[in-house]
Amino acid sequence: MSGFLRLLLNRLGISLIVLVGVSMLIFAIARIIPGDPARIALGPNANAEQIAKLRAEMHLDASLPVQYGHFVVDVLRGDLGTSLYTNRPVTQDIAQFLPATLELVFLAGFIMVAVGLPLGILAAHYRGRWQDHLVRVIALLTVSAPAFVWAVILMLLFAFYLPLFPIAGRISDIYDIERTTGFLTIDTLLAGNWTAFGSAVHHLILPAIALSLSGIGQAARLTRANMVETYDKPYIEMAQAYGFFPSRIARSYAFKPSLIPSLTIIGLDFAAMLGNAFLVEAVFAWPGLSRYGVAVILRKDLNAIMGTVLIIAITFLIVNIIVDLMIAFLNPRIRYSTRGTS
Amino acid sequence: MMKNTALITALCAATALASPAFAETVLRLDEVAVGELDPAKASDYADSILMFNVYDTLVLPAQGGPGHTPHLAASWDVDGATYTFTLRDDVMFQSGNKMTAADVVYSVERMQALGAGLSYLFAGVTAEAVDDTTVTLTLETPYAPFIASLVRLPIVDMTLVKANSDSEWGEDFLSGNGAGTGAYSVTSHNPQEETVMAKSDSYFLDVADVAPDTVRLRYGLEPATVRTLIAQGEHDIASQWLPPEVVQALANDGAQLLTESGTGGFYFKMNTQKPPLDNVNCRLALSAVFDYGTAIQMIAINDEVSGGSPSTGAIPVGMFGANGSDMVQTQDLDAAKAYLADCPYDPAEMNLEISWIAEVPLEERFALLMQSNFNEMGISSSITKLPWALFAEQVSTAETTPHISQLFVNAVTGDPDTLLYGMYHSSTPGTWQSPEYLNDAEVDAALDAGRSATSDADREAAYSALNARLMAIAPTIYGFDRQSVFAASNRVNVPALSDPAMAFGLDGMGFSFRLMEMTGE
Amino acid sequence: MIRTLRILAANPLSLLGLTLVILITLAAIFAPWIAPFPTHNGAVVDFLNNNRPPSSHNWMGTDLVGRDIFSRILFAYQISLTLGVVVLAIAVPIGTMIGLLAGYIGGWLEMVLMRIVDVFLSIPPLVLAIAMMGVLEPTLTNAMLAVTAMWWPWYARLVYSIARGEREEGYVLAAEVIGAGAGHIAFREILPNCLPAIITKMTLDMGFVIIIASSLSFLGLGVQPPTADLGSMVAEGARYLPDSWWLTVFPGLAILVAVFGFNLLGDGLRDVLGVDE
Repeated sequence: MSGFLRLLLNRLGISLIVLVGVSMLIFAIARIIPGDPARIALGPNANAEQIAKLRAEMHLDASLPVQYGHFVVDVLRGDLGTSLYTNRPVTQDIAQFLPATLELVFLAGFIMVAVGLPLGILAAHYRGRWQDHLVRVIALLTVSAPAFVWAVILMLLFAFYLPLFPIAGRISDIYDIERTTGFLTIDTLLAGNWTAFGSAVHHLILPAIALSLSGIGQAARLTRANMVETYDKPYIEMAQAYGFFPSRIARSYAFKPSLIPSLTIIGLDFAAMLGNAFLVEAVFAWPGLSRYGVAVILRKDLNAIMGTVLIIAITFLIVNIIVDLMIAFLNPRIRYSTRGTS
Repeated sequence: MMKNTALITALCAATALASPAFAETVLRLDEVAVGELDPAKASDYADSILMFNVYDTLVLPAQGGPGHTPHLAASWDVDGATYTFTLRDDVMFQSGNKMTAADVVYSVERMQALGAGLSYLFAGVTAEAVDDTTVTLTLETPYAPFIASLVRLPIVDMTLVKANSDSEWGEDFLSGNGAGTGAYSVTSHNPQEETVMAKSDSYFLDVADVAPDTVRLRYGLEPATVRTLIAQGEHDIASQWLPPEVVQALANDGAQLLTESGTGGFYFKMNTQKPPLDNVNCRLALSAVFDYGTAIQMIAINDEVSGGSPSTGAIPVGMFGANGSDMVQTQDLDAAKAYLADCPYDPAEMNLEISWIAEVPLEERFALLMQSNFNEMGISSSITKLPWALFAEQVSTAETTPHISQLFVNAVTGDPDTLLYGMYHSSTPGTWQSPEYLNDAEVDAALDAGRSATSDADREAAYSALNARLMAIAPTIYGFDRQSVFAASNRVNVPALSDPAMAFGLDGMGFSFRLMEMTGE
Repeated sequence: MIRTLRILAANPLSLLGLTLVILITLAAIFAPWIAPFPTHNGAVVDFLNNNRPPSSHNWMGTDLVGRDIFSRILFAYQISLTLGVVVLAIAVPIGTMIGLLAGYIGGWLEMVLMRIVDVFLSIPPLVLAIAMMGVLEPTLTNAMLAVTAMWWPWYARLVYSIARGEREEGYVLAAEVIGAGAGHIAFREILPNCLPAIITKMTLDMGFVIIIASSLSFLGLGVQPPTADLGSMVAEGARYLPDSWWLTVFPGLAILVAVFGFNLLGDGLRDVLGVDE
């Protein structure tokens, strides 16, 4: 367990360094904005006096390192400033909107694994045969369109032409669920309301599929590649020679070793999904952090832009630490030879 | 497998429940922008809808004609620049607190202190509580349409705000909660989703039983979503920003069309400080070359309803000083050629920058129309898409303001002064309303006369003179008189938006939910 | 080269990919000549023929101001491909250089460079590009800049991991023994070994750059109208679903076909050049 702990500390340490870098990057982006941030933050009806006041509050007349220092101190105090878009503290906005995005991304990740892995196993099992080629074409197709194209196509087919799924929102209007966690699937269960839970899941399905499609392709291809590699290993050939059932070989011998690279890709795809959520949430009017992100970017709402990007980067770092720990747990060799970052 | 069955059952149950058998009526509508709950910060349409329902004002615009009627104020007297209001003594806030003169004073001072939204209407006003039901508002300078401005002064529950907030003006509390006397109280507010409001049972006026029990004001829905929700019976009133094609499709499916008109227009504003638009003949040439007829066709929904009516001049039909509806502006290429001959700049080198506001996609089409009109005269131009925030920043100096900016502007109090003064008076350059940077003594004089004249006849004369002058110097291409069109389901009747005799003549006031009728369909 | 092509052509999927890529490239280059309505790339209005469904006159229908959608898609390919080529032409050399330096020279330089790469890679790429476009003005140049900024770290990491492995290989050590300079070893000895991986990734990345760029313009942060762009055409058209489906479906499919072509080709190249995933 000490190796495990050492790995955890190592990853946390590196993440901290990266996080400092991320904060500098975000700060840099926010300062290359053309025009006066204070004027933009105050909107069209501000007068010179108000602008001067806000400039002072934002320390805009200080040198850049000093401004960065103020930024870091504010962030550490949990103060991300006020959003111009909602007129509320950015932290309050993020707390309200992040759960909706995470709920969507988690379900999409689940779909990605639940569909992508079996497809990859199937392809590896029938490698070189038509099943393999079919999976390859499907996988390449799913990664060949941006998430917003899938979202629009799914919406057109399954919400407009065949109205099987709702086209917007997180839950039907008729349920009044207390939002304890902000995850509606959890809140409805906490309330013990099964039909409301059904409604929340119903609303999640279409956007989650749109978000997961390109991940499915990636996961299938990677699983296939890793399994094909293990299939060529001597012990599998031996098992085949002994006449073990193919399904048993796939399950017991070939699958487990290929799980590790698959976990890695899940970590990476999580990043892609956090990005693609910006597109899918826009199409499905999903009231999550990504839609908020787009709204604040179009309004040049600096505080909210910086807060959103920071939170997304932190979320991504946390997921990657978890993935690393899971990999280490599955593979003792990595556990004891503290893994580098590359 | 068991799990799957449970899920499918749950889904079916959800669908079954969605067709309601409730006695409670729900009205669902949407707005593009996020509604601002704090009434002192209210400026756009969504904010106004919230404000008019959660809060009340001292007076209301009269329905079906000009003038104002008592509301929270039972009556008022005007003595020069001092207005004395006698308040009703039977009005309770939603909190149960009694509404008194102190609340009115607090509301005025809160507006002035925050300096946001339309607070400029109340700059220089001194409010004083004489007793619990009497309040005086004193103006620094006489302002004829002051009573009209009062529709922008929501009365806030001072006691409630002070009990719930540490700060003097309670911005943290009022951004997420209602504190008014209105017929509807705020149940929940999520800036990315919706504001839910419920009918208050203690409103000081009678509210019909058919008025909706619950109202859901949804934000930021895509037109395609609104269109489908209405078709599926899950939405009632669409925002005015649906593209004409979508409204058309809805109307063809049987949706009703609600309208609101008479307080604003759609303008192509020319930067009069920037060559070649600093020359009046060049501006007149552009005004003559624009194809007004096609623009009107572009916004038509069907034979009866349109997103606007032809412009007759600088002032929308129905307001003081407007030209008769027979004086419709049209494209006149011969006149354009004549003006262009007197314009000292070379058309091929004008490189006019035509901007459009990214949030209003319809404007892209007008930009393209204008560009192709200009091409016919050999006038060179380019099109720029500007997000609102960036546009507002650019107009702060004449150098960065585009040659031509497209804007929907309306009179925020219904009075022409609040439409025209901010656009054309030389003391208000560089706001989003005034990218013309106009500086014309004659225009200033007419605007000032319109403000201070006390009789309707004098105001009519002042604004007629203004209209003539604005047509002669053409700081703006007056595109069309705006009419807002709202596609709506047949589950709701909105007399204020469908019967001219019930119309308020103030943008957003038609959305007083207490005057709506759910049909039970 | 010829041999590679011949092997590629033997695989029907790769052949399809190659054909698509060539067709789309030709269509983009010759758009002004082959588009049925070559003027429709810009600000042209025809309100008598707007919002028309596909017909023999307009194969993919017309948009809301009456422009031919098929013609606009051809011109939009110009933008997409130019953007892809420019982004890769800048990002790949920068990334390769940094990866080589970090991987071959090592030491504190490796530490610093790779931490910087980590910082860039720890913000989801699309989020980084969106944030950059959010503060910059939405122009083609800035879109290229934003996408390039998110792209080079991937090449840095790819080349770094190969170079680090090669550092200890016999031929590199041999070159060091005979006194070859660091530059010579990095560029003449190690770089050629990275090329197959770089070329394969570039082919696949052409598709991804097209996806990212169209995503930016879908959100209104990329190339601006009236210039034809696939992402903004989808975004604009999506308002009018389901009635005017052609406004959205054809530009969406156009992205799919182009990216699919590059992916098929890249996938085939990977097999032929023997590059690991």
